[in-house]
Amino acid sequence: MTTLTVERPPVPRRTNGSLPPVPPHRGGGDGPDRDPAPHRPPLDNVRLAMLFLICSEVMFFGGLVSAFLVLRVTAAVWPPPLQPRLPVGVTAVNTLVLLGSSVAMAAALQALRRGDARALVRRLGLAAGLGSVFLLVQGYEWARLVRFGLTLSSDAYGTTFYTLIGAHAVHVLGALVWVAVVALLAARGRFTDGRTGALRACAIYWHFVVALWPALFLAVYLV
Amino acid sequence: MLDWWLPENVSTYGQEIDWLFHLIYYITGVTFILVFGTMLAFIVMYRDRPGRKARYTHGNTTLEIVWTVVPALILVILTLLSVPAWSKIKMTMPETDFAVQVTAKQFNWQVTYPGPDGKFGTADDKTLLDEMHVPVNKIVRVHLRSQDVIHSFFVPQFRMKQDAVPGREIRQWFEATKPGKYELPCAELCGFGHSGMRGWIYVHTADEYAKWAAENLTAAAAPAAEATPAAKNEAPGKAEPKKEGKAKK
Amino acid sequence: MSATSVTAHAHVDHAAHHDLGFVRTYIFSTDHKMIARQFLFLGLSMMIVGGLLALVVRWQLAWPETAVPGLSNILKETDGILEPSTYNMAFTMHATIMIFFVIMPILAGAFGNFCIPLMIGARDMAFPFLNMLSFWVTGSAGVIMLSGFFVEGGHAAAGWTSYAPLSAVPSYTGVNWGQNIWCISLFIMGVGSMMGSINYITTIINMRAPGMRLFRMPLVVWSLFITAILLLLALPVLTSGVAMLLFDRTLGTNWFRPSGGGEPLLWQHLFWYFGHPEVYILILPAMGIASEILPVFCRKPIFGYHAMAFSMIAIAFLSWVVYGHHMFVSGMSPALGMAFTVTTMIIAVPSAIKTFNWLGTMWGARMQFTVPMLNALAFVSMFVIGGLSGIFMASTPVDIYIQDTYFIVAHIHYVVFGGSIFGAFAAIYYWFPKMFGRLTSPFLGHVHFWGTFVFFNLTFFPMHIIGVGGQMRRIYNPMQYEFLQHQQPWNVLITASALCLGLVQIPFVLNFFASLFGWRAGWFRVLAHAVGALVAGATILVFFSSLGYGKVLFGIVGLVVAVVVFAVSRRDTAGCGEKAPLNPWNSNTLEWTAPSPPPHLNWGATIPTVYRGPYEYSSPESKEDFLPQNVPPVGAAGARRH
Ligand code: HEA
Ligand code: HEA
Ligand code: CUA
Ligand SMILES: [Cu+2]
Repeated sequence: MTTLTVERPPVPRRTNGSLPPVPPHRGGGDGPDRDPAPHRPPLDNVRLAMLFLICSEVMFFGGLVSAFLVLRVTAAVWPPPLQPRLPVGVTAVNTLVLLGSSVAMAAALQALRRGDARALVRRLGLAAGLGSVFLLVQGYEWARLVRFGLTLSSDAYGTTFYTLIGAHAVHVLGALVWVAVVALLAARGRFTDGRTGALRACAIYWHFVVALWPALFLAVYLV
Repeated sequence: MLDWWLPENVSTYGQEIDWLFHLIYYITGVTFILVFGTMLAFIVMYRDRPGRKARYTHGNTTLEIVWTVVPALILVILTLLSVPAWSKIKMTMPETDFAVQVTAKQFNWQVTYPGPDGKFGTADDKTLLDEMHVPVNKIVRVHLRSQDVIHSFFVPQFRMKQDAVPGREIRQWFEATKPGKYELPCAELCGFGHSGMRGWIYVHTADEYAKWAAENLTAAAAPAAEATPAAKNEAPGKAEPKKEGKAKK
Repeated sequence: MSATSVTAHAHVDHAAHHDLGFVRTYIFSTDHKMIARQFLFLGLSMMIVGGLLALVVRWQLAWPETAVPGLSNILKETDGILEPSTYNMAFTMHATIMIFFVIMPILAGAFGNFCIPLMIGARDMAFPFLNMLSFWVTGSAGVIMLSGFFVEGGHAAAGWTSYAPLSAVPSYTGVNWGQNIWCISLFIMGVGSMMGSINYITTIINMRAPGMRLFRMPLVVWSLFITAILLLLALPVLTSGVAMLLFDRTLGTNWFRPSGGGEPLLWQHLFWYFGHPEVYILILPAMGIASEILPVFCRKPIFGYHAMAFSMIAIAFLSWVVYGHHMFVSGMSPALGMAFTVTTMIIAVPSAIKTFNWLGTMWGARMQFTVPMLNALAFVSMFVIGGLSGIFMASTPVDIYIQDTYFIVAHIHYVVFGGSIFGAFAAIYYWFPKMFGRLTSPFLGHVHFWGTFVFFNLTFFPMHIIGVGGQMRRIYNPMQYEFLQHQQPWNVLITASALCLGLVQIPFVLNFFASLFGWRAGWFRVLAHAVGALVAGATILVFFSSLGYGKVLFGIVGLVVAVVVFAVSRRDTAGCGEKAPLNPWNSNTLEWTAPSPPPHLNWGATIPTVYRGPYEYSSPESKEDFLPQNVPPVGAAGARRH
């Protein structure tokens, strides 16, 4: 057995926490001499992880929506006669607002690809702004519904409405915080050095949260 | 040979359940002996000894197919054998004129007899607490409800079990084959009184039952409703379909 | 090969250790191996809580309404006698802790973290920071869960299944914050396990070493991969369920309360839609572990590698469509029940494939009965018993009778203790040298194994008998029922055995720490003897202070065990705690090419290249009876793909 003399291993830039000093993530190959055809994953780690996160979230909302559908199908009359109707019109417009934010996010990524840092920040801001408008309108509508007597505990109608829409709102809020953080980082010049993971993950998540809404809108307001 | 295991069976469909139980017992017993026999044999035969070399093999497709298909077949047969009993017990409701409403609550069984009018929810209903009386060899329909949480109506000797779910009424049936006094425990956790939530089912012979009914149902429930001697002798359930007109008078 | 790693090791060791402070190394570490150890400690310490709760349950069942030894200080009002509500709390928390905070952290958390990067040849997880977060989220869920014992009204007491509406309305159980904490803790646990599983899946898909094709992965990695997918998809359903339950309890929503238009059975559907995949989450890693350990100590390849991998995939798929077998008599449509019988029977087929392939692996082997091997064999045999009892319940008519009886309790424990816990023990003994760089004592290991094996069976086998006799589960006092009274001697036997089962875990604890710190460390010897003396003394005190029927006997048994432990600790100082060599079991897989314990980033400058499958034992290709995955093929030293 020959003892190879090994060079000092790559010295980690930072040995803890957020920046793992891990050599290439692509299958861990250590260079073309050892692995001439390194295993190149079709999706990089960030995309893959977001994909699975979305699967997980879909199951979460799947649980909520199927529970809602069960209650709804077994109820004698739906919606219950004395309860206020849901504001379909306003919400439809609001849906467009949210979809618009997704467009803004896509445009932000475009700016990133072009390397246009200022457009990136602007468009992230726009996405966040549209998202906030959506949330504010939702909140306003909620307040009105509550005033008309539809509450969480009024019956299955109120229960399902507030839980489902509320769960989505919490997700939007979380995503919004994320977008805001990312926008701040972008404003401070991050993401131009090629380390775009956090931004891309954020964008994927934002698109997911937006795409979820029409489905909920359909299930809760329209059907 | 397993009779000391299972409590005595005193219901009609109990036999089918016991038969299936025994069948599965033997199937799994044989499987168990085969698997453990083989394993022990291998452990003894192939233990590490100086000079032994392990056989270098990655598998054997034929063998693997065999031991996939054989258990699959056994299990399919088992499924097919389970279906008739299940549909008899849970999916069909035999004709009967004897119905009892059982409403579970924390932590009692409220057993309601329809009274002379044969209908539930009327003034002449008679409700007993934690006891139920039925005639032997008669199909009894149980309307199971719950007032609060989920309970489970379990009669070990009848091989009968059904959860009582608040908000719905579940109909079940049984037919007891031997007079006696049987315990009716609650089998679903329903709170701190779950253990000890227990009723009794008295299975009477036809005569005894009629006597009991006369004393306890008709008489007590409707003394003012001029119970005729004829009505007295009748089991409340018997009256159910026909006596409607009479009850309304 | 190994020399390479050793040389490299020296450097890495320094590089890694210098820069990290204590906190970064041992507490907020992002190193997958440290996180694995943290999960292991979390699981093992929670096991003591869960196990002691089980013993409390057992005491009550054998000698109903007598004071439980040692509880008189806790249950002051009743002087140590359990009340029915306390009993309900005890088994509820026993099961909750065992399932969510013992088996999942140990099997999926500890061994998932330890094995995946090391065995596929990655330097760490794909997202080390997320990995750390996952542990701390899960850990805080555990702490929150434990905090429920101290709130007004006691901890959750509606069973680990928490059927609504019992769990949905505080006044039905008298438990208020306990059940809320139960919901909150499981919600957080769900988030933590989601982080973990995303990490596992991404790592396995993207970060395999060169040459590590999917079908060259060790089966334990396959099993963890599939487990992670199940975790990812099943737990969110529970998360949504507990959120609804919590809202019902605190905000007055009406998901599960019929009075407000809710549906009680909805909870059961949601719970079991999660719950059945969950039980396979508990067993799949153990199956993988057995598939890993059997070939090593049989010195021969696993029988039917592909069948093993595909049967696990089949189990995972099928586990989504069998959940209704928990609800046969729940009031769900009986036609649905019939459909679920069919699928439940089908899911036994992949398990059959696995069982017979394990037997095939033993055929023509050269078996070495080391401690991990014994535990793996116990896993296989006990899982078969548990699986076979599952067939009884799969048959709907039979389930009518045995549902909610001790037959189910027997099934549960044969699969989760006989299956998962033996799997966990096997894994701990097998990977201990790599994980901590120390050898364990085989003698103590044998004592622990045989004690556990014997008392496990004495504890849980009779449960089949009393279950068929009709004894319901979750009852506080079987003596309240006339038809159960004749079975009481069985309950006494079970409890006696359960107490012994608890006691024989002491050699394990001893072994664990003795190996970790080494007998030779004087302070450890003193400590061990002190603890031994304390346990013996406490046993004597506890049992003799409440003299009574049968108790003296157990006092003596306890004493004997303690004495044995003492004797052992004097005798067996060799081997235990010695520095582990690189590859103590002569295994093939990649983790054994890293130093023991592996440093940060696992390997030196280069990670190993993989040339073959993981189970090439006794291959004609090599002179030795093993052929590590990273050894280049003979005559083709430069060859890259094989
Ligand atoms: C690790 C956990 C685990 C595992 C692996 C299993 C595996 C199985 N389980 Fe189990 N189960 C639980 C954990 C587990 N279970 C728990 C915790 C509960 C109770 C929950 C509660 O209510 O609290 C439960 C409850 C439960 C019920 C509901 C009982 C009731 O409440 O009424 C049923 C019903 O069908 C069932 C069936 C099965 C079947 C068919 C398998 C199969 O996968 C088993 C397959 C294996 C084999 C069959 C053995 C090997 C095969 C052979 C040797 C081949 C030859 C065999 C034949 C030809 C028969 N289980
Ligand atoms: C997941 C794993 C798991 C494990 C490992 C166990 C382990 C044990 N279980 Fe549990 N059990 C469940 C899961 C598990 N159980 C579930 C899901 C239920 C259903 C709950 C429900 O109905 O909601 C249940 C229910 C259950 C019941 C039924 C309660 C009832 O329905 O009323 C009983 C009764 O005997 C029981 C007993 C035991 C015993 C004696 C052990 C023993 O094996 C424990 C032995 C271990 C130890 C004792 C710990 C080790 C201790 C040390 C290392 C310290 C030293 C010890 C001493 C000094 C004594 N369990
Ligand atoms: Cu009623 Cu249990
Ligand atoms: Cu199941």
